Amino acid sequence: MSATINPLANPKAVKKLCELCQKPAKLQCTKCLVTFYCNSDHQQTDWTSIHEKVCPLLVSIHTPAPFSTLQSDRDHHHKETLKKQKHLLEIAHLEAQRWVSKKRFQEVLPAAVQFLRWAMQVYGSCAVELVPAYLLLAQANIGLGSLSQAHEYLSKAEWTVMKTPGCGNTVLHQLHRTLGRLHAATGKYASALTHFANDVYYASEVFGLASTVTSGGYFLMADVFLKQNKPDVAHSLYTEVANSWHAHLCKMTDGISQSGTQPEECFDESQCVEADQMLRCILEFEEQCVKPHPDQSAMLAHSLAMLWLLCNNYTKALEYGKKAEMLIQGLSEQNKLRESIHNLLQHAEKHLE
Amino acid sequence: MSSAVVGGSPTPILRDIYNADKHRKPPTKSFPEWMKENPVHPAAEETQIPTEHEIAQFRKPLRHNVCVELLSEGFHRSFAQMFVLLQRWDGAEEHPHKLHTLQQHLTHAETAEREGQYGEAYDNHMLLARFFTEPEDEWLKHHFLQLALDSARKFKMDSGKREAESNLHMGQVYLQKSQLERAQEHYEVFYHLTLGRTWQDPSGRMHHSRSCEELQKVFTLLGQRLLQEQDYVHAIKMFTKAYEMAKESGDRGSEGEAAYRLGLAYQSAGDQKTAKQFFSVCMEISTTLENTDSLGGTYEAIAKSLESEGKLTEATEFLERFAEISLKSKQDRNLEKASMCLGNILSLRKQYDGAYEHFGRAYEIACNLVSARLQKAQVCAGSARALSMMQAYHRLIETPGRQKIDRIISWKKRRNDTLSAPLEEEMKR
Repeated sequence: MSATINPLANPKAVKKLCELCQKPAKLQCTKCLVTFYCNSDHQQTDWTSIHEKVCPLLVSIHTPAPFSTLQSDRDHHHKETLKKQKHLLEIAHLEAQRWVSKKRFQEVLPAAVQFLRWAMQVYGSCAVELVPAYLLLAQANIGLGSLSQAHEYLSKAEWTVMKTPGCGNTVLHQLHRTLGRLHAATGKYASALTHFANDVYYASEVFGLASTVTSGGYFLMADVFLKQNKPDVAHSLYTEVANSWHAHLCKMTDGISQSGTQPEECFDESQCVEADQMLRCILEFEEQCVKPHPDQSAMLAHSLAMLWLLCNNYTKALEYGKKAEMLIQGLSEQNKLRESIHNLLQHAEKHLE
Repeated sequence: MSSAVVGGSPTPILRDIYNADKHRKPPTKSFPEWMKENPVHPAAEETQIPTEHEIAQFRKPLRHNVCVELLSEGFHRSFAQMFVLLQRWDGAEEHPHKLHTLQQHLTHAETAEREGQYGEAYDNHMLLARFFTEPEDEWLKHHFLQLALDSARKFKMDSGKREAESNLHMGQVYLQKSQLERAQEHYEVFYHLTLGRTWQDPSGRMHHSRSCEELQKVFTLLGQRLLQEQDYVHAIKMFTKAYEMAKESGDRGSEGEAAYRLGLAYQSAGDQKTAKQFFSVCMEISTTLENTDSLGGTYEAIAKSLESEGKLTEATEFLERFAEISLKSKQDRNLEKASMCLGNILSLRKQYDGAYEHFGRAYEIACNLVSARLQKAQVCAGSARALSMMQAYHRLIETPGRQKIDRIISWKKRRNDTLSAPLEEEMKR
């Protein structure tokens, strides 16, 4: 896996630096031979985070360009390299996002740093494509608690956005969301709310008012309102989030049941985890509420069941389905909801057999 | 040197360095003392740097700022409504006061809704509906009237008065848009809610009578549309409903009108008897109210029914009554119509002299009024005159005789009505 190298043995003016900390490197990865680390801890972190996935790809990128006499050959090689680099940075991006949604912030850092480095190589140092990398790094740092570092990354992101006036509302919404998270973590609730407000506005422009992305923004705002001790506002926002997720999931389940096929990649893992956390949080809040709204809790349980069904986890789907059924028995109306819960339970039980 | 400077010379451009004492500022104190005199207020220092909020007011469009303000205070439903409106509304940037009013009232409405005070929410929505009075903002007004209806429906405390009022407004909206069926729905709800209640308009008018009036209007329009499509059965049903509404509202004038229209509907459907019944009702009411216009119209309509039934004498009677009334009230147009109808009937019965009289009258009036029916009157008059002379002329031609031929020739020359005169001569013979 790793071979020790002696920095003194390197050719003149060649300095091998550690991937993570940029100190003189003592270890070399034997699989790809182009990645270096200063100690085995760093190597282990990098391996779990991203190196496992990109190790084979790095070799082809680091090989020097073959000598070719024709300009077209050289251009072709250049294009090929660019394609490989883009592929690499996409992998890094997805990995980093996965770790963020699982809230394993320590593992985000190597992946996000790789992403940033490759993006800088491909797009240049002031391109708007770097902004997602900065945002991921900032989010990881907020999660880890190093808020000044997060602030630094976010300032860079803001500067990049300001330098690109036509950058598009998606980037703006993501930026404001992370800025909101930072301000909420530091305790500046008013500015956090302003940033989340901007986030929701841009997200509505791009995705529409009832989209799940916008409701993510509403969820974060509700958190801040709770910290500001305004539970009624938070409750109303949570209702909004619950409704939009429920509608979205119902539509997907109906689409699946109509076409009859197995749900293929409706959600990737990170989205599933995030949605699950969000819905569970709201469900807990509802249960702690002074005035219980059983129809709301039933709807939330139903949404959770549908979510797990779509992710092919039938045990959990069954669990939440049964909870939903129990909650809805207290109510006289809601026939449609009852029907859907019943269908869902049947579907889950059938698959478990 | 100094005397040269002091003695009446213009103000020096450069400061006088030799007499610097006059211009010098007080001796500069040491820094700590100066700091004590001019303490830096932390608040003052901060206000010189514009806050993010202030920067955004300049950099971002107004709609962005309004939306962000709504959201950061937690009014996400107001934001959602505002967002939807802004997507449809192109001229939003030019009317900041409209946006701000919207913002204010929407937030009030949302706070009220959160506390369950739907009455207040209703008031705010109505305020907004009344605020948008310009014709280009009609759709905004309709939108807020719809919202007002929704909040009124949730408000149970006043036993449905606000719901009734908002149904009335929605009915008016749909009437304006000519969506008659929906207008009918709303007006019917309004009617049922106000049945038996003594609620009043701000102007003192009873809600229930208003509901009857509006329903009558809608039914009439629906009936007219059905008549155009020649769906007589349903049209008659509509007009009957309209008539009942009119009766219930207690307004005799509209009752008369409704009876008249119902009669017309029966007439077009071919049921003359029922038509005549309703026409007689209308006649009664018009006589009581002394409304000569409608009275004349009723007479005309009755005459038409009688004509289609073939009872020409009675028809003539009614038409003469019509003519009389028109003459009395000096309504020349109606008089012209009446005369034309009379002339037509008399020509049918071959009473060409009488017909010519009436046609002549119609022709004169048409000349005075510069009416479009001038040519028709001319033609009818001419043909009636010719037909009336026809008999006499035939008599003169049939049997030859010198005097008869003389008479014919003189008539041809002078166009006098002397053709009937020969009768005397023949009688003398």
